[in-house]
Amino acid sequence: MSTRKSLITSNLRVLTGLVLITWLILPLIPLAIWSFARGWFFPDLLPKTWSLNAWNYALSDTAGVLDSLWLTIGISLAATVLSILVGVPAGRALGMYKFKGKEIVELMILAPTIVPGIAVVLGIHSVFIFVGLNNTVPGVILVHLVPTLPYMVLVMSGIFANYDASFEAQARSLGASALKTFWYVTLPAIMPGIIVGGLFAFLVSWSQYILTLLIGGGRVVTLPLLLFNFATSGRNDITGAIGMIYILPGIIILLLTARHLSGRSGAVGGFGQI
Amino acid sequence: MRHLLITTLMASTFAMSSHAAFADTADGDSLIGKPWEEITAAAKGGEVNWFLWGGSDSINQYVSEYIGGILKDKYDITLNRVGLSDTVEGVNIVLGEKEAGVTDKGSVDMIWINGENFRTMKQGGLAFCGYTETLPNNALVNWDNPAIANDFGVPVDGCEVPWSKAQFAFAYDTARTENPPRSIAELIEWVKANPGQFTYPAPPDFNGSVFVRHVFYHAAGGAENLLGPFDQAKYDEVSAKTWQILNDMEPYLWREGKTYPASIAALEQLYANSEVDLTFNYEPAGVGLNIENGTFPPTTQGYGLTDGTIGNTNYTIIPFNSPNKAAALVLQNVLLSGEAQAQKALPDVWGTQPAIEVDRTSDDVQAVFASIKKHPAVVDPKELAKNSLPELQASWISAIEKGWLDNVGK
Repeated sequence: MSTRKSLITSNLRVLTGLVLITWLILPLIPLAIWSFARGWFFPDLLPKTWSLNAWNYALSDTAGVLDSLWLTIGISLAATVLSILVGVPAGRALGMYKFKGKEIVELMILAPTIVPGIAVVLGIHSVFIFVGLNNTVPGVILVHLVPTLPYMVLVMSGIFANYDASFEAQARSLGASALKTFWYVTLPAIMPGIIVGGLFAFLVSWSQYILTLLIGGGRVVTLPLLLFNFATSGRNDITGAIGMIYILPGIIILLLTARHLSGRSGAVGGFGQI
Repeated sequence: MRHLLITTLMASTFAMSSHAAFADTADGDSLIGKPWEEITAAAKGGEVNWFLWGGSDSINQYVSEYIGGILKDKYDITLNRVGLSDTVEGVNIVLGEKEAGVTDKGSVDMIWINGENFRTMKQGGLAFCGYTETLPNNALVNWDNPAIANDFGVPVDGCEVPWSKAQFAFAYDTARTENPPRSIAELIEWVKANPGQFTYPAPPDFNGSVFVRHVFYHAAGGAENLLGPFDQAKYDEVSAKTWQILNDMEPYLWREGKTYPASIAALEQLYANSEVDLTFNYEPAGVGLNIENGTFPPTTQGYGLTDGTIGNTNYTIIPFNSPNKAAALVLQNVLLSGEAQAQKALPDVWGTQPAIEVDRTSDDVQAVFASIKKHPAVVDPKELAKNSLPELQASWISAIEKGWLDNVGK
């Protein structure tokens, strides 16, 4: 009886996994085919003429995709690290403590996910011009924190809401320093949250368009800027080639962190009060 | 990861320091009327940031490789081509800088522009003006031609320099359609006889908007009644007829007119996928490029209308706060040169029409122009130009776009 039940659940799990993978992979197949096609017309199931033109262009100096790939990775990683540095203490405060005006702080942190970026970016632009951060990579990294921080703080406050601080007190009473306590007690407990929040932050930063364009002033050319040029002009072949390059880092990071993302880890333990 | 962070930091310090590494030529007025050698000397070793629509690999290659190569080799100027999805993004950067009080350290040195975006820049005081006489190749431009001296009805007044000419043209697939409609009157009948086979991008899309203006001209009985400043009475009369025609047409459009494509790219995709039989574009040479890059079936053929199609000129503009005005002037002069205009007219490079007077160029350049064989699918520009209609002033255009949204696209 019980073995039958577990057989059903494990079959279900495999099925769900297959559906999810199909869902994620299927839309990418036409994109991959397009990148090698020279014309692909209805009702042909596959392109009649194959070509490397799109890849030749995507990998050329004129397109600048490869330079842009490294720059985009650097910007997204920096935005992720800064998000973690700000998001962990903020999440701890929101998840573990009650204080006056907490609701307002929570609302302010969530605001960037509600208010569209275009509404605030013109104001940010003039502030950044004033402090000399426009057209610079640090400026772009900073402005990416606006959309990435809400995700990081949300995930971390959920983690800290289910976190028992008395473990830290025990470690301290056994003679561990504050640093050691953080390193051996706090960090392992919140690691799944840092990974999930960091992944969110990376992907959100990775896909920014209008913030990068305006604050970067066209000097900081990230991959979405190049990709959208061709996506909006209907060039499916070049969009396919740049798109393939564009999704690579996301997939690699997803694979590296996959074991922390399973349902059994603490990171999906609910989002606490927020 | 640490390595990448260091790389990012280095890249950012470089981005900041490179700003100050060469001579600043933000003071445009001091350049006006100077001997050309002094301007090229001031531009030497500098850079120029050109913001332009980046959705065509052919145009990108012409700009980065051909024009960028000339600038580097002959003038020691680095051309930084910044691709835009929509020209208004570049205008907004300049606008934001003006509002923030940036008068001499702007990030945009040049924009490929015309129409409404030019009006925004000229009226907003965002353009550097009055310098065109300083360019040696300005002699090749016929400023007496009203189609050059006015950009969508707005006088250019030395605030921009022409780059190319374009004229609206239709295209159809000879393998699918035998007799495409050859005038707006024929089109109106044809749409009713061929339900679901036609649609147009919803204005304010650039190309959808110019299609609606063709219907507007047809309703007005010709463009000549509409020239000059905006006339409310005239507009009310003609627009009522226009909305009537377009609303009568709507049930016979693609998907019964319940929805319109959002962009010209979407219409071109519908055409390429055989969902609709006709497509059109303000740049008639695009048909040739789209056949060569595989977007359109090779049996596509471009054509004009017997009652004429609207033509325009596109330009390059230098923002008032560009810090590299000398380099931008050199770039504009190169773009105007007979050699660069001839290269741009080659069908496998771009195939677009020159904005200069070909008979004012050198014999060698004239020989190149004479030898150009247009792409067989592109409508002959000389034939097309015989029936060229003028553009309306920008105030008319925005009224028609708004009227379409309120009366047809609602």
